[in-house]
Amino acid sequence: MADYTKPLPVIEPWNAPYWQAAKRHEFVAQKCRTCGYTHLPPGPACTNCLSNDQDWIQLSGKGTIDSYGVYHQLWHPGFTDDLPYNVALIELAEGPQIISQVVGCANAELTCGAAVEVTFDDVTSDVTLPKFRLIRS
Amino acid sequence: MGLQDLRDQICIVGVGDTQQGSVPTKTGDELAIDAARAALQDCGLEKDDIDGLFVQPSYGRQGDYLKVGLMLGLNPRVGGAVEASGATGCYMIQHAALLLHAGMANYVLLVYGTNQKTNRNRFGGALLEEHAPYGAFNPSLPFAFAFRRHMHLYGTTEEQLATIAINQRHNSLLNPKAVQKTPISLDDYMNARYIVAPLRMFDYCYVTDGGHAFVLTTADRAKDLRKPPVYIRGMGRQEAFRAYETPDLVMQSFQQERVAKMVFPMADMTTKDIQALYVQDAYSPAILAAIENYGFCPKGEGGRWIQGGRIAIDGELPINANGGQLSETYMVGWQNTCDAVRQLRGECGPRQIKNVERIMCTYTGGLREHAGALILRR
Repeated sequence: MADYTKPLPVIEPWNAPYWQAAKRHEFVAQKCRTCGYTHLPPGPACTNCLSNDQDWIQLSGKGTIDSYGVYHQLWHPGFTDDLPYNVALIELAEGPQIISQVVGCANAELTCGAAVEVTFDDVTSDVTLPKFRLIRS
Repeated sequence: MGLQDLRDQICIVGVGDTQQGSVPTKTGDELAIDAARAALQDCGLEKDDIDGLFVQPSYGRQGDYLKVGLMLGLNPRVGGAVEASGATGCYMIQHAALLLHAGMANYVLLVYGTNQKTNRNRFGGALLEEHAPYGAFNPSLPFAFAFRRHMHLYGTTEEQLATIAINQRHNSLLNPKAVQKTPISLDDYMNARYIVAPLRMFDYCYVTDGGHAFVLTTADRAKDLRKPPVYIRGMGRQEAFRAYETPDLVMQSFQQERVAKMVFPMADMTTKDIQALYVQDAYSPAILAAIENYGFCPKGEGGRWIQGGRIAIDGELPINANGGQLSETYMVGWQNTCDAVRQLRGECGPRQIKNVERIMCTYTGGLREHAGALILRR
């Protein structure tokens, strides 16, 4: 893992709990105590009502692929061995959408609307990235 | 008082551009100054008539408001830098219109210059910092999402999308300013490599060097200038932050529909009054989004609607008669507005749209969060 060459997340005080949870292989989001809105990615305030009184809740990790793109062009040397790789827009069961990757399958298996669930990629000793895999029926 | 009070009150009176493509001998700021000089000559104004200045920053610390103002030797009353990516030129026109209408300025100059081709700017940055770990680079990703979703929901095909690039390349062959001069066939398109699938090389703008500038004034002052004025008949804008990761917004439906609700009532027009359309086309799916969300065709029908020559220069709704950013030059929308003005003046030679009097220009910026539109008339 010492030679991990892809970009790493920038961890700030307000998003640290998200990354700490990921490291424990838990998938969490912020839920506003004032208005009840659940949102990702993490932010310093509720994007619905601006309250900073927010809770961290466990997500089911289930979602669907809204859309995806497959990178054939390299823009960062860390992804050289991954081409062609996918980046997907995932709609989570609890509502928020996030950009991540679908792993453990060929890009040709991806479809809009496919069911996915979270999986955890321990990319360095400090960082774990929530990614997704297809739920095969 | 409302937007309608501005209808036909403000005009674009001067347009200026420079050599486009690769201009390694000049910095972006030099190109901005060259374009400004050309725009002043176009309308016959002197530099010191200008009392408003807006500058669009470009990559590599070009287009700083203070620096460009110094280089132009101007002391404007109003102005500033505006940064809204591919919607900036449109937003500046709207800011200038409001300031002119309020009497804060008499003649406003807008400038943009860049040598981002020479600088080898690759637009390879992450969408946002938080997306870099997932390899989400380049602003085309939201457009790839959008087109994939369009294919899924409506059965739109890659062959249908090809029509946009092929049509615009055909138009660029008629445009002496255009940078791309090789015709594209459907086979060429389908055999081209994917960049971010489902988008191929021909769905992307080509990064270029160049400059553009506009001069605006009030309708009463415009009558005394060198060229026939082009009137701002309607305008509108809407932001939608995080549009690139919210499904309803990926096709820009919310933001562009809001703009439509401003621009058409202000102009007292409908889509049927619009004789040609210019879309800020950094990536070709922007055109499907625009024609659907502004109401030129039903939702989901865009891929089919653009077939059969409908968007050609002699078609029912010519789109990007200059070649657009896929084929003419990538000036973040400025060149499209410039061409619309020249079309309305009848200055476009072999690419001239016959009897054109009313043109709409639409703009998308950033990760699709910025949307703006203008309706121009002669």
